Amino acid sequence: MPSFAFNGKTIETDDEGYLQILDNWNKEIAEYLAKEEGITLTEKHWELIEWVRDYFFKFQVAPAIKSLIKEVGKLENLPDKKEANKFIYELFPEGPAKQLAKIAGLPKPTGCV
Amino acid sequence: MPDVSGTKRITDVGPHDYHDFLHPVIKNNYGKWKYHEILSPAHMVHVSEAGDKIYSVRVGSPRLVSGFFIRDLCDLADKYTGGYLRFTTRNNVEFLLDKEENIEPLMNDIKKLNLPLGGIGNVVANIVHTQGWIHCHTAASDASGVTKALMDDLYEYYIDAKLPAKVRIAFACCLNMCGAVHCSDIAVLGIHRRPPKLVPDKIINLCEIPSTIASCPTNAIRPDTYNGKPNVKLIEEACVFCGNCFTVCSGMPISDPLNDGVSIWVGGKVSNARTKPSFSKLAVPYLENDPPRWPKVVEAVKTILDAYKNGAEKGERVGEWIERIGWPKFFNITGFKFTKYHIDDFRLGEATMNYSAQVRQ
Ligand code: HEM
Ligand code: HEM
Ligand code: SF4
Ligand code: SF4
Repeated sequence: MPSFAFNGKTIETDDEGYLQILDNWNKEIAEYLAKEEGITLTEKHWELIEWVRDYFFKFQVAPAIKSLIKEVGKLENLPDKKEANKFIYELFPEGPAKQLAKIAGLPKPTGCV
Repeated sequence: MPDVSGTKRITDVGPHDYHDFLHPVIKNNYGKWKYHEILSPAHMVHVSEAGDKIYSVRVGSPRLVSGFFIRDLCDLADKYTGGYLRFTTRNNVEFLLDKEENIEPLMNDIKKLNLPLGGIGNVVANIVHTQGWIHCHTAASDASGVTKALMDDLYEYYIDAKLPAKVRIAFACCLNMCGAVHCSDIAVLGIHRRPPKLVPDKIINLCEIPSTIASCPTNAIRPDTYNGKPNVKLIEEACVFCGNCFTVCSGMPISDPLNDGVSIWVGGKVSNARTKPSFSKLAVPYLENDPPRWPKVVEAVKTILDAYKNGAEKGERVGEWIERIGWPKFFNITGFKFTKYHIDDFRLGEATMNYSAQVRQ
């Protein structure tokens, strides 16, 4: 199984880099995962990361893109769905499943985005 | 190869318009065909209303092919067909020619590559098969391995048209059946016989609980808690061993080297010539996996094919033959046992939210 060393600990991931153990996640690891994706985390990134994590631990499933867009609409005052979608992709260019969920330490989402 | 470094990959553009790849003769006579004629088990001609002719030369391929194989095919196409060839849904290769004089040299070159010429008419065409142990996580049996063993044995029926009608054989390595086993004359289907094994720690860490529950077609997966955290439990009697849950949740592995194996089905077809299309029905409920040559599977398929060849009238497909002589007689002739597994008494699927014609996620 692929893994990386972090602060003296071995962190296991799947082939695509999603963490294998939820409890291994912390903010430093998120910074590290983001760097691997070529993303420098800003406050805006953190807002979304925290929101998807809250959502996951409440419902045990990553949010559908629709809910994410709705949330961003509220957080950023972007009622236009297209604008909200663009905002998400500017933060996470490869898409919410590929990058947001991965950096947030969630299992690989089974949904389509 | 064009230099694409530095450019961004454009996705979601959809497939290329297939009209751009049509042979000019096909493009010019689109929808205006008069008749076709099978000239040999390996080639046929289509004639258009305008009198234009297009020849197809058919060659078997093993489906899992190498780049070298594709290059060999492309070289032949460049040399004889102006670059036109296609892969059929059963993974045969068809060269499309408008020059009759090129057929013989093309066939000679194909023979030099040791590729089988055939597959047209009353033959066993290439076996359509799925990914198997090579690639798929749900596989209850291998695909290319069984297919290779079968086709090695049925080769004479590919190159020569000596059956009462065409016989289409399919292989799928699980009941999700990427391989169209539900409507083939003879079908080999990999089956699991035990429910998935739950690994609660993995389920917590790797799976979305609602998606896992929703993945089950019979509602056998129910919410539960484990060490105080949300998890799932399994109603084993309701499980149909489909493996859907493992696709979304790797904490529910279903592969089982002891109990996995294959079943054999007969009598399906998609064409509506003479009789209606029909589904395949169960003939042999279980044979164990015995790689690398699967002798029991080969023997069972051979038994069905021989009985069919000896008993069917000209033009009769396997299913039509069985319907005419009756199923009891089919079991008699082949010597297969009729068991409780041949009776479909599963009712649990009807009571779930999945029993509906609506598209669902
Ligand atoms: C709202 C629903 C869906 C959305 C938003 C969606 C979105 C996507 C996205 C973003 C990709 C990645 C494209 C890429 O960058 O390569 C993708 C790939 C794919 N999707 Fe969907 N999809 C949806 C539904 C479906 C459905 C229903 C199917 C099948 C019936 C499907 C089949 C595929 C396949 C086969 C690929 C892989 C394509 C490739 O590798 O190039 N998708 N989808
Ligand atoms: C004759 C039946 C079929 C055959 C032989 C077949 C074969 C294949 C093969 C060889 C692949 C590539 C696997 C790999 O990556 O190694 C594939 C991928 C795939 N197939 Fe099929 N397939 C069949 C039917 C279907 C059907 C009926 C569906 C769905 C409606 C389907 C959906 C897909 C999808 C979604 C992929 C992944 C595409 C991607 O991500 O690039 N296939 N199939
Ligand atoms: S038939 Fe089943 S096991 Fe085989 S490739 Fe398809 S989904 Fe996988
Ligand atoms: S999804 Fe299929 S294999 Fe999994 S529990 Fe349900 S019926 Fe059984």
